[in-house]
Amino acid sequence: MMCRRLIPILAAIAALAWSGSARAVDQAIVDAAKKEGEVVWYTTLIIDQYVRPTVAGFEKKYPGIKVRYVRNNSTETTIKIINEAKAGKLQADLFDGTNTSEVLKKEGLVEAWKPDSAKDWPADVADPQGWWVATNVYVLTPGYNTDLIKPGTEPKTYDDLLDPKWKGKMVWNGSVSSSGGPGFVGNVLISMGQEKGMAYLQKLAGQRIANLDVSARQVMDQVIAGEYPLALQIFNHHTVISAKKGAPSAWIKMEPAMVVLQVASVAKGAAHPNAAKLLLDYMVSDEGQKFFRDADYLPASPRVEAPDPTLKPEGGHFKANVVSPGELEDRMPKWKQVFDQYFR
Amino acid sequence: MTAVDRIPVPRSRERLTQTTVATWVLAAVLAVLVVPPLLLLVVGSMTGPEGDVTVRYFARVFQDRRLAESLTNSILFALGSATVALVVGGSIAWIVERTNAPLKALAYLTTIISLGTPYVLYVSAWLFLLGKAGPVNSLWRDLTGSTDVLINVYSLGGMVMVEGFLWSPLVFLLMGATLRNANPELEEAARMSGATVWETIRRVTLRLSLPSLLALALLVFIRALEGFEVPALVGLPGRVNVLTTDIFLDMHARVPPDFGHASAYSVLLLIVVAVLLGFYGRLSRSAERFATITGKGFRPRPFDLGRGRFLAAGIVALNFFLLLVAPTAILVWASFLPFYQTFRVRALSRLTLHNYEVVLGSTHYLDLVRNTLLIAAGAATVTMAITLIVGWLAARRRAGAWLLDQLATVPLVFPGIVLGVAVMQIFLRLPIPIYGTIWIIMWAFVIRYLPYGMRYSYAGMLQVHRELEEAAGVSGASQFEALRRVVVPLLTPALAAGWLFIFLLGARVLSLPILLAGPDSQTIAVAMYDLWTNGQGPELAALGLLWTVLMTAIAAAFHVFARRNSIAT
Repeated sequence: MMCRRLIPILAAIAALAWSGSARAVDQAIVDAAKKEGEVVWYTTLIIDQYVRPTVAGFEKKYPGIKVRYVRNNSTETTIKIINEAKAGKLQADLFDGTNTSEVLKKEGLVEAWKPDSAKDWPADVADPQGWWVATNVYVLTPGYNTDLIKPGTEPKTYDDLLDPKWKGKMVWNGSVSSSGGPGFVGNVLISMGQEKGMAYLQKLAGQRIANLDVSARQVMDQVIAGEYPLALQIFNHHTVISAKKGAPSAWIKMEPAMVVLQVASVAKGAAHPNAAKLLLDYMVSDEGQKFFRDADYLPASPRVEAPDPTLKPEGGHFKANVVSPGELEDRMPKWKQVFDQYFR
Repeated sequence: MTAVDRIPVPRSRERLTQTTVATWVLAAVLAVLVVPPLLLLVVGSMTGPEGDVTVRYFARVFQDRRLAESLTNSILFALGSATVALVVGGSIAWIVERTNAPLKALAYLTTIISLGTPYVLYVSAWLFLLGKAGPVNSLWRDLTGSTDVLINVYSLGGMVMVEGFLWSPLVFLLMGATLRNANPELEEAARMSGATVWETIRRVTLRLSLPSLLALALLVFIRALEGFEVPALVGLPGRVNVLTTDIFLDMHARVPPDFGHASAYSVLLLIVVAVLLGFYGRLSRSAERFATITGKGFRPRPFDLGRGRFLAAGIVALNFFLLLVAPTAILVWASFLPFYQTFRVRALSRLTLHNYEVVLGSTHYLDLVRNTLLIAAGAATVTMAITLIVGWLAARRRAGAWLLDQLATVPLVFPGIVLGVAVMQIFLRLPIPIYGTIWIIMWAFVIRYLPYGMRYSYAGMLQVHRELEEAAGVSGASQFEALRRVVVPLLTPALAAGWLFIFLLGARVLSLPILLAGPDSQTIAVAMYDLWTNGQGPELAALGLLWTVLMTAIAAAFHVFARRNSIAT
């Protein structure tokens, strides 16, 4: 399994980007979905930035189908679905997350289905068997406070982070996810290999990095507020969203960066399977993907351009390790173990 | 409470039947509430993944290299928090209830508003204030030219301070109810015999309040021991790990989380708490000695502190500033910003009403407000109704009452997140269709708040001497008539305080709704948590302040009502 693929996703996909409009959804699904009348969506996406506009757009396009949503993080979403299924009371029809689909696939709780709108997407962003389809792309890099660190003096390489002047100044979150310390550890191990990577991490541990128990978004906010000058593993588009509002925030093109996917799947045994499929299709359709673009996120669709293409490896010309949902699920326990060993 | 030192001789068969039936019915109700989650924990802690019986989870708890460190931190944290809460809350309560110091209204204002403030909002306000970039440390750096910080809030000391402050309003309310109803005759006797104010406090007031003080200390101690918000938000970044954060980290280490380990931990916590409660039972065995509301008149009169009353007022004002003005000010500042940054002139140009527009313009938040109010009011009403009768039976040492008291106290051992998982599993297995509705949240709240309701009812009940009921009995009232017409009116302040406390807690607590809420039963606390984790601090501040205004209005109305009622009786 090649994990180190310094391939820009979109460069390959760019060739595929054709001007043709998305395919229409199968009318049978639309009819069946209307009969079901509603769909329950367990989401990890941010309500005001993405979920609400999408629900409004979907309900307008398909009147008579009501979307009910619950927001939790990936772990809580997964626990809920497993528990509900065990009890035979599955509520969720559709769910998403960076680390939900692969776990639930193992539990036999995912219905393989590939949306029509993603039929021509490459395997990177739409699982060929249809276990999941990506809704958007996350690029993980360090970020910093431009008031506290003068642009130009920020650390530019992994070795720069070992400089004693950063001791006690760095922060990440300790959650078991790609957007936390374990994700950073994983990216180092992928890039440098086991031996060199472990040696590097041991040195980095001496820098006493603060572990927060909040999302990567909140980690960046603490940096913007001035609590810490430098965050190691954050979503680079967040720094841009904040900078647009005037916040002293910027991201660092530290190579290689890490790229992961936010994916969505239909729950097996869902009460409203057709409505779930219809909503999933809507999310990856050009219309649905534009909501990501409008929120300054990075759409997964090859057909919808990111608002700032330089955030992506191919647009910004930087190297990145693309870690698929399956690889993430396989390797995370090991990364977490190394993280605990050095950074807890 | 385990010992029954005096079983009253029933005066008639009819009375025996009434209380016996009540005891059994209540025991059944409490058992249905409390036993299933308990059973689930005990079984879960000893069942391996293949359904085999195992001690591996306990072994892992004890083998953890960090256990000693976390345990020490937990105990220091709990002791420190209980001390801070008792000292702060207790002295304010004494000043307000028993002296002639001015500015008393400030203490009520502080308490009511801080009880209505959601944890996540309060803790983030304190972190804004005392953080590395906060105004306190900024000022220090400006004054001294130092590049270091004056206060490192991300430390054990910082945790103790924030947690202690969080609980001091509860102590104030409970101590206030106790002190308000304490008979001043003994204190007056001490004063007349030449004792100073301080001597009177030390030798009479403190000793008379001993059972309530111990009960409160225990309550805060246990709550801090299993508390999660402050250890997570303040302790984790500073690498001060306690038992609950260890468990939390463990539960998040894999999906699905390791509930065997969490259950083993909870069972151990249960044993610790049971031992503590055993001590407490011994101490309060002779609680009747402390009853000061007897058949004689009991209108308390305040101490005259002389000039000392200005010092007392200063303490009240300082408390008001620290607990209310400073956190509110920083939240108001945050609520007008597009993104959070500490106060500076440059940021003034960015001030915006956007956050308020978003919050007030959203119909989504209206649904959440309705859900939250329904759940909190329902849970408070049911809990106080149950604990009123349990507290009465326990205080009067009816046969079997100790069992009721034990059952109602057991939920103290459930860390919120564990109880949430237990309740979720119970209703997923039962054919009762309340999963995902507001009813399951209410159910969990009733379980969680039984011990709190008990402390209010029982502590209040201890002060009402049984001779009042006996008088009612002699005049021909049945025991329940005596309860309804004599005890309940006297207890109105304690009951109202208990109801309000549970209502406000239910309206702001997060750990249960976050696991149990379905698509149509989301609450405000869950929305606030989302805002915090999504980094929408300013919108959180705006929503939080508006919500706090609403909660304060409710609490104030209730407070006025309860006070008027208690004066009228």
